[in-house]
Amino acid sequence: MASIRTRLSSTMTRLVVAIFVLQLLSSALAIFFLRGQMLDVVHADRVRQVVDVREDLLAAYYDGGRAELADFIANRRGSASDPTVFTALTGDGPPVLSNLTRAPDLPPSTQPLPVVVHRGPGAAGIEGVAVASVLPDGELLVVGVMSATERRFDLAFATAIGLTIAVAVALALASALVLGVVISRRTHEIADTAAQLAKGNFGARVAVEETGDGFDHLRMQMNLMAERIDRLVSELGSISGALAHDLRSPVARLTAAIDTALVRVDEPAALEALHAARADADALRQMLDTALEITRLEGGATEDRRVPLDLAEVAQDLVELYEPLAEQSGFELVADTAPVTVRADRELLSRALANLIDNAMKYGGRHITVRTRADGHHGEIAVCDDGAGIATEDRARVVERFVRLDNARTLPGGGLGLAMVAAVAHLHGGELVLSGDDGLIASLRLPR
Amino acid sequence: MAGRILLVEDDPQIADYVARGLDEEGFTVDRADNGRDGLFLATDSQFDVVVLDRMLPGMDGLALLKAMRAAEVQTPVIMLSALGSTDDRVAGLTAGADDYLGKPFSFAELLARVQALMRRRGAPAKAQETTLRCADLELDRLTRMVRRNGRKIALQPREFRLLEYMMLHQGEVVTRTMLLEAVWDYHFDPGTNVIDVHISRLRRKIDDGEEQPLFHTVRGAGYRLGLD
Repeated sequence: MASIRTRLSSTMTRLVVAIFVLQLLSSALAIFFLRGQMLDVVHADRVRQVVDVREDLLAAYYDGGRAELADFIANRRGSASDPTVFTALTGDGPPVLSNLTRAPDLPPSTQPLPVVVHRGPGAAGIEGVAVASVLPDGELLVVGVMSATERRFDLAFATAIGLTIAVAVALALASALVLGVVISRRTHEIADTAAQLAKGNFGARVAVEETGDGFDHLRMQMNLMAERIDRLVSELGSISGALAHDLRSPVARLTAAIDTALVRVDEPAALEALHAARADADALRQMLDTALEITRLEGGATEDRRVPLDLAEVAQDLVELYEPLAEQSGFELVADTAPVTVRADRELLSRALANLIDNAMKYGGRHITVRTRADGHHGEIAVCDDGAGIATEDRARVVERFVRLDNARTLPGGGLGLAMVAAVAHLHGGELVLSGDDGLIASLRLPR
Repeated sequence: MAGRILLVEDDPQIADYVARGLDEEGFTVDRADNGRDGLFLATDSQFDVVVLDRMLPGMDGLALLKAMRAAEVQTPVIMLSALGSTDDRVAGLTAGADDYLGKPFSFAELLARVQALMRRRGAPAKAQETTLRCADLELDRLTRMVRRNGRKIALQPREFRLLEYMMLHQGEVVTRTMLLEAVWDYHFDPGTNVIDVHISRLRRKIDDGEEQPLFHTVRGAGYRLGLD
């Protein structure tokens, strides 16, 4: 559930809340608009009803005079039978009232007007619309409709609003969550690819869905960028590879020339100079070899010679190889091994490990341990020393080709060792991890 | 140890350097600077060893080697190549090369390997013997006992294999690279004098207190086991 929590953090939460509030506002607006529309319709209906009733009453008046009209009102005939309809006929005689206790005070008009009427003594006034017309005999006919129904409407609307809000809250929450998770998943997908690229896996790409939306645009741009990085990196690699390859022949001739001179010279000073030149030519050749090897390894242009291999044996063999030299140079080199079998290329792995041991003897302290152990799904083979170590901020940098730290510039070496080790690790689907608080632990983690 | 060697190499400077060196060691050297001439010479005449460059104009070294072996020419071949990776080495050995040397190489390394190939050709039976002897040094490959002048010498397993290899190649120059390949089965250069220290440990166990040293350092090349 931790992932859900992180997914809903900060930006996500704000986005979700914003979507929620907006959705709520829009439902509320819709409801109020609907209410207004309905009230308008109801009002128009009522006006029509008032006009209809008046027509009926006037028709009765013209048919049978005032008596007929009074009877029509008193007996609530025809359209006047509606319980919300009220009528009043006032004039010279006693007023004729229907559904009223007192005639409303209303000026004559052609259109119905709002009015407050009373249906019983002491009863509260009821709102309604009514129209007053003057009859030819001078009496005043008031016809109206009470709007009690509008109150019921408002009540219904209040319930509706409550319900709608409840449903909207649920829906908004659900959709915001879904949207949040979808957006979060997509951005995480893209970010994961970026992380892969940052780790040096330049083949990583995001799957493009061709939906044409902003995410897709981002994915496509991301892939274009990755493509370009990939090309630049491989160009760089092949340039350094080609350079190394082209330099080998001149170095071979240089070595040959020095060797030829060595057997023909007797003068001690000249011999010494030639030996020094020979040693440098050897170092140069070795650097070129390693640079070429890295290019080959990184390009994956090497045959798969991985076999099930006990890392403990690999470690013991190398410790056995280096131990006499270490002892002579005043180091303590020991193996601390637990059996763990991984699929690995013995030659490449040994070469990588030899580089690490060599490094430890150059820059490390007095005690060097070659350690193997099983760690979950990984087999680990590590060279640990008690030297000055490598500062945390420099650790990512030292595995790059030709990078050497300032304190290492005075010692021989081409700055290719760790890059080669990292390339071997990657070829095995593993990684080179540099750690350690006192001294350095250079560890190859290989999948079991 | 005179012998006849075919050198197939297109780089004139490397070819001159190798030919001159072999000539000084008393070998007769025939040269070819392209693959077709090389194949023609290799199948047409008798040589003790063929030194063959991997990348050649006309016909690639690997193709030449395969054609040679197909024509049942079993002359030992040592392949030279600027392609020094394990893949390239394995490809060369699979095609029928007897040894493989990455460029650049020192002449001493090439010479030691050429001589080793010639000796192996002359005396192939030694690898089967159970007791190896060199002057008063005796190594029993079954009981893994080593004695010198009656004195029992205790050796670590790797020291035993090192001495065994030296005794199998006694009288020959063995280089550090040859030892690393044969005794440790590593094909990379550990870059320091790792092997020298192993040899000096072994040398102390064998030669200390003896009148006649059996271990000899050959300057610029490697080591040799034997009297004088």
